[in-house]
Amino acid sequence: MTVSLDALSARQIAAGVAAGSFSATEVARAALDAIGHREDDVQAFVQVTEELAYDAAARIDARRAAGEPLPPLAGVPVAFKDNMNLVGTRTTCASHMLAGYESVYTATCVRRMLDAGAIPLGKLNMDEFAFGSTTDSSAFHPTNNPWDLARVPGGSSGGSAAAVSAGEVTISLGSDTGGSIRQPASLCGVVGMKPTYGMVSRYGVVAFGSSLDQVGPFGRRVEDVALAMNALVAGGRDPHDATSQSCEQDFLVHLDDGVEGCVVGVIPALLEADGVTSEVRMALREAARKLEGAGARIVEVDLPNMASAIAAYYVLGPCEAFSNLARFDGVRYGYREDGCSTLAGQSALSRAHGFGAEAKRRQLLGAHLLSSELYERYYLSAQKVRTLITADYRHAFEVVDAILMPTSPTVAWEHGTISDPAQLYLADVFTISNNIAGNCGISVPVCLGADSGLPIGAQLQGPAFGDARLLTIARALERACDQAGVVAPACAGRGGELS
Amino acid sequence: MRALREVLRDWEAVIGLEIHTELTSLETKMFCGCRISHDDEPNTNVCPVCLGLPGALPVPNEKAIEYIVMAGLATNCDVMKRSMFYRKHYFYPDMAKNFQTTQGPVAFVMHGHLDLEVSGEGADERPDGTITKAADGSYVLPVKILRIHMEEDAAKMVHVGGAEGRIGGARESLIDYNRCGTPLIELVTEPDLRTPEEARLFMEKLRQVFLALGISDCSLERGSMRCDGNVSLRRRGSSEMGTKTEMKNINSFKALHDALAYEICRQAEVLEGGGRVLQETRHWEPSRRKTVVMRVKERNDDYRFFPDPDLMPFDLSDEFVERCRRRLPELPDARRDRYVATWGLRCREAELLAADPQAASLFEDVMGVAEPAEAQVVANVMVNLVPSYGSLGVGQIAGIARLLAADDITFVQAREVLDALDGTDDDPEEVVEALGMRQSADSLSLVVDEVLGRCEDQVRQYRSGNRKVVGYLVGQCMKASAGAGNPKLFNQLLLERLEG
Repeated sequence: MTVSLDALSARQIAAGVAAGSFSATEVARAALDAIGHREDDVQAFVQVTEELAYDAAARIDARRAAGEPLPPLAGVPVAFKDNMNLVGTRTTCASHMLAGYESVYTATCVRRMLDAGAIPLGKLNMDEFAFGSTTDSSAFHPTNNPWDLARVPGGSSGGSAAAVSAGEVTISLGSDTGGSIRQPASLCGVVGMKPTYGMVSRYGVVAFGSSLDQVGPFGRRVEDVALAMNALVAGGRDPHDATSQSCEQDFLVHLDDGVEGCVVGVIPALLEADGVTSEVRMALREAARKLEGAGARIVEVDLPNMASAIAAYYVLGPCEAFSNLARFDGVRYGYREDGCSTLAGQSALSRAHGFGAEAKRRQLLGAHLLSSELYERYYLSAQKVRTLITADYRHAFEVVDAILMPTSPTVAWEHGTISDPAQLYLADVFTISNNIAGNCGISVPVCLGADSGLPIGAQLQGPAFGDARLLTIARALERACDQAGVVAPACAGRGGELS
Repeated sequence: MRALREVLRDWEAVIGLEIHTELTSLETKMFCGCRISHDDEPNTNVCPVCLGLPGALPVPNEKAIEYIVMAGLATNCDVMKRSMFYRKHYFYPDMAKNFQTTQGPVAFVMHGHLDLEVSGEGADERPDGTITKAADGSYVLPVKILRIHMEEDAAKMVHVGGAEGRIGGARESLIDYNRCGTPLIELVTEPDLRTPEEARLFMEKLRQVFLALGISDCSLERGSMRCDGNVSLRRRGSSEMGTKTEMKNINSFKALHDALAYEICRQAEVLEGGGRVLQETRHWEPSRRKTVVMRVKERNDDYRFFPDPDLMPFDLSDEFVERCRRRLPELPDARRDRYVATWGLRCREAELLAADPQAASLFEDVMGVAEPAEAQVVANVMVNLVPSYGSLGVGQIAGIARLLAADDITFVQAREVLDALDGTDDDPEEVVEALGMRQSADSLSLVVDEVLGRCEDQVRQYRSGNRKVVGYLVGQCMKASAGAGNPKLFNQLLLERLEG
């Protein structure tokens, strides 16, 4: 009898490896086979790490042979957004600036996934330096939405969402600065979680906006995401990240507790906002009804300053990005313009030619907004807005356990159909305020759009460090919507068989 | 150019200092676990954090924050309840991230002061009437400290093949990141200083305080303590501020004094000639004894300061501050006062001993075995003799002091004894015996008799009432004994003979 990796959850894979039903090496081979069959269409990867995968699998198999207990993600195929350092790979941020950059150390989040026994299949495509929501700004190639190859997978963690959606890996990691995990999860029909700021170490993840960035997992099931979260917080606070906190816990314990007695907030006005398509509006109303049917109480809440979140975000994000990306000057590593006669000329031309348009746009904006004469007017004002939005959420979470809203106003759109950056920025309206406040959020696929037939995700947002409760509610929504474990139909079944 | 003192009668110099001190006593850098050691092979004490590699994050060194709080408490600063690190951006390869992590408007410690006691010749630089002076011309000047903040040091760059080691025209530039990320504390004074001597004294005093705290080796030569001086001139009686120039590359106390003195005279000449002082950064060249222009500041650079989002604000608890306070050692001024009060030392020796933690500790060890009455002699030995020798034991120093106090040997002989003692465990008493130095009335009497025999004129003068002539005769005795005799004993023997 043959089994396809498509059908297995992370827990089933780890259990199968532990029981000897199949070896970790066989899992690695099946995952590489799936990638081989599907990657031409999807192009989620910028680098497939066959050797690293087989090495890691062999170590798991050797441990089993030696009779050692196996870690919780033993043999589970994973891949990482290409802004995460992993020794033995290039970490490019999908930019010419770092096209040949070899990692000299491994990010804490990656290390923890590997320590949990996961098999690293490679590095995943993204918008250049995580600036964008389409993955089209990758300097190497676009990634295609597995549900419709003519469409974008969303971004910036588009590769991470597409690889899981296409069944190329079981779990992937992405990073979310303003929605970069949740939005592509919604567009690709998978679960994507942005944990509370400080829960997952940022050490080794190339920074975009240090006060907003958070690493989180993608999976085709809430349970897979919860298992990945267990691995990410294992070992407690990371001493290499001064903003990380000690959050070690088991997210599976209460995962299936259900939503009986839970209070979920909704903001009706949000669904009426410009740009929200009717199929998204319908899907979200249905999701609320299903949560109610599962035992949750639905109440209306208000986040009065949410409308200012985008403005604040497009000040804070670019300011931090300007500063964080200043180090890329071609002096020590990365793209260097040859033949310059002065240091200043070399730095300027290396940056001019190493960065793409969006990376330059954000850095120039940040440099402008941080100039001493504008600092107070923009940066300090944005910080005040941040305080107000955080307070809005605090008030709301005194009443509700989570807030339900769309992740994206629309389903995935076709490559190249939105070229105005401002229009793309506005599509982040539902996700950004969560990063501004440092809370947790998750996107769960709820249905296929009534008009488009493409996946629609519902977003749940929870209070800071309420991640376990958020996962419980997400699991209840998933069960009510019967969307767990779906591989995009165009990819399902192509390779990936475990013999 | 006119002389400094003359210039300072017509012009008031307004001087402020910025003093950078590397916390060399720490084992690791400010934001990573790399060892602090600049002498190792280049680029060996480095890691992803201090190299600014993609994805690396800073983690603050708590011990460094303890040190800066101690520095603040020792200079009468307030410890700020909440302060933050900021990023200061500039593109230059000596800072791996192209920004320096430093502090913003609120530093860890602020608003302190140090009181200077200005005396001796240096006090004369301050024209009479501009401050209340004591009868001996000395005065006390309180100098306000604006702030002491924490920042990270840059890498060391060497430019090869260009003129004067500058980057312009260099064939290649080498960067050693061993120093990059070393914790630096920068103290900024208010512009309260008015003479080069006051500036020199402030830096010297600050160095003594930091040495006592044990937070740095404070080596000016090696650059672990560096000073920039700002100076502007205004007419006596005016309250307007003139245009200031900034002096860099000051690596000795003398250079600080001389650079400021030169700059004051230069600015006076410019202003008196109807010219305008330009706001510029100047470089002190000790060999040419002048300052030269490094660069003219046309506008203030925009460093795009903003709070470092990778580092949380610091809310220092009362317990933390109290812990730092308890770790404060006795500071030089208090120690000097204690030496004067406990052992009746003269101020000069008490101050010199108290200023140097090692000397002070050795002095106190010696006083543990020496007689309290011999304290001043011990201090004299410590200040004038001990520094020239490599390793002298506590007992040996006490022994020398005892021999001196008992007039058994002279200061000149003491040096000979120490030469013999250095590096041995020998007992000074035995060395004195072995060298046949012990002063006895018999051996000295022979000298006195010989001198009186050939100085009949002076003997006659004495007997006719010229008592001063004894001094001459003592001198003759000293000469005859080749410096080995004790002048006090000679004096006593001479008087006995002359009066007898």
